[in-house]
Amino acid sequence: MYQYSPEDSNFLVERVNQFEKQLKRHLAGDLDDAKFRSLRLRNGLYMELHAHMLRVAIPYGTLSSTQLRSLADVADKYDRGFGHFTTRQNIQFNWIELPEIANLLRDLSDEGLHAIQTSGKATRNITADPLSGLTDGEIEDARPYCELIRRWFNLHPEFSWLPGKFKIAINGAKLDETALRIHDLGLRLVRNSEDQLGFSVFVGGGLGAAAMIAAETASFVKVEDILSYLESTMRVYNLKGRRDHQKKLRIKFLVRELGADEFSRLVDEDWQQTKNDPNLKLNLVELEQLKKDFALPIKSINLGGFEEKVDFNYSIWKKNNVRSHKINGFSIVNISLTKLGAAPGDATSEQMRILADLGEKYSASELRTTKRQTIVFPYVRKDQVYDLWQSLEKYGLASPHQGTLAQIVACPGRDYCDLAKAVSIPIATRVQERFNDMKTLLDIGDLNINISGCENSCAHHHIADIGLLGMQKNGEEYYQITLAGETLHETVIGKKLGPSVSGENIIDAVEIIVNVYLKNRIDQERFTDVFKRIGIAPFKEKVYE
Amino acid sequence: MSEILQIESILNKDYESVNLVLFQEWIESFDKLSKLAVGIIVGPSDDVSLIKDELDFIKLIVLDFNNFDDGRGYSQAYLLSKRWQFTGEIIGINAHLDQLQFMIRSGVTSYVLLDSYVGVNEEDYANGFSICYQEAANNSGLQKKY
Repeated sequence: MYQYSPEDSNFLVERVNQFEKQLKRHLAGDLDDAKFRSLRLRNGLYMELHAHMLRVAIPYGTLSSTQLRSLADVADKYDRGFGHFTTRQNIQFNWIELPEIANLLRDLSDEGLHAIQTSGKATRNITADPLSGLTDGEIEDARPYCELIRRWFNLHPEFSWLPGKFKIAINGAKLDETALRIHDLGLRLVRNSEDQLGFSVFVGGGLGAAAMIAAETASFVKVEDILSYLESTMRVYNLKGRRDHQKKLRIKFLVRELGADEFSRLVDEDWQQTKNDPNLKLNLVELEQLKKDFALPIKSINLGGFEEKVDFNYSIWKKNNVRSHKINGFSIVNISLTKLGAAPGDATSEQMRILADLGEKYSASELRTTKRQTIVFPYVRKDQVYDLWQSLEKYGLASPHQGTLAQIVACPGRDYCDLAKAVSIPIATRVQERFNDMKTLLDIGDLNINISGCENSCAHHHIADIGLLGMQKNGEEYYQITLAGETLHETVIGKKLGPSVSGENIIDAVEIIVNVYLKNRIDQERFTDVFKRIGIAPFKEKVYE
Repeated sequence: MSEILQIESILNKDYESVNLVLFQEWIESFDKLSKLAVGIIVGPSDDVSLIKDELDFIKLIVLDFNNFDDGRGYSQAYLLSKRWQFTGEIIGINAHLDQLQFMIRSGVTSYVLLDSYVGVNEEDYANGFSICYQEAANNSGLQKKY
């Protein structure tokens, strides 16, 4: 598995040292709140409703067992014994004391972990398909590219003070597990007609109050030219992006105002000045080294006499949580952390250590995190899946929810977040209570419900089958419903159903929507396909009758 | 004029003979001003591409970094120094301590810190790192890792 070099580790320490000095100046009254805010966000530190929250990057969603143990140690030493896996391959700690932050970051840097640019108006953690390298039909594992691009924009002198935050996702697989077209910038690995490897580039996606799908600004940029192309994109944004309106800072507003064609033309005009600069070419030697570092640690095996165990509970769990691997003899296991009443994505330090140990035993010490806030074991031998399930069962981690309606994605909501207008986690709990029968869940199948507590859309409600957005109406909590959003096969922003529904009635509304789906479904038709076929009217009619 | 006087007062004696003008004045009165030794004060919203063919007539360029969250000055510095090879001084005024590393690497050749930073150790912030991960206008003293 890829690890940072001593120079990279030293860089992390230098960054902590610098932030520690800034923190001391702030605490001594020599650095005002506004400037310190800008600096602390670039180090992943937020001031939330009750305490400081730290967001730590899990680059391209890949973690070693050792790194997960160090996150568990941080949860115990500096937090209240748990962490929260986010929808963008980060982990958050919610109860951090300001004076301890430098020591915490130093502890993380020992394991090659950091919080650099996990927030603030700069390039954020770059996300990848959590199944990178594992599935058939993939163009290439995206992670080596994520790492090279992450490095390039790490404290980039020109692009560290952009108009707004800048999120990048890279996908190399057939299906889009990254939701790249709702990112500020999405890269899709492609091959052109001459079989050269490159990227299609999509710019200006984003959720929030004005959800937009990114426009394609280049259909093919050769791999070695991608850094100069990205720089030109960011330069146009840095110089022309809106800075005068708090709600129009993101690049999507610039792309919309200029028009995608004009934006692409400006980028291209700038790029013509730099695309042949040898200093801006992606280092192909380093890329080849990284491909070796990220190579799968397993080889095909023949499990000739292997017979799968017959066990009802195991088979249910397996149906929802295990999928086929491109390497013969192996499976991909997806572990849900969902528990009734707990925030989706929350894990205790004990759970983290158990997962680290099990990862070591069953998955070559490597784990992945996903935008559905689950943990993937990427390399489990088929003849060991049952043993792994038994261990997970023993520790209460064998929830078969993955791939069912009960695997809800929710932000922390008003219980924890300063910005939220309504609660999220209690709504998730009530949905789970309403649909608590496994037979029903299996019948419904894979149906996403995402719940965001405000327009910032941290839970990506626009791209769920059923999206709920919390809001306030006359001092009461209401939820706006959107239907049939998706990103896996194509990118579609969910359609608003109608007037928002009160917190009291929202679970009934969800149940009605599910029933309309079930009634109209033909065979195993997905929710989005039913919606396309019958339209919004039958849902609307039943919910508001 | 008060803004110009203020800037003149903080500039090095080497530039006493330089006439400082605002970007817009330069654009409007190029024929007259290009015959003088001129320094141009560029604001964050000024389009520096408008002067790229006139850089031979300009002694120095002043970029304003007063707004902590406005990063346009870094792109302006890069374009002037790296792309258009401006050989005169690029002076960052109203500079913030915590942004020195970004200013210098973007191509700013000298800077004037805001008064509020008097007495701090600039070295910690101008040279806090040993390596860099990207090509920039100025990577001197840094081990390149890219």
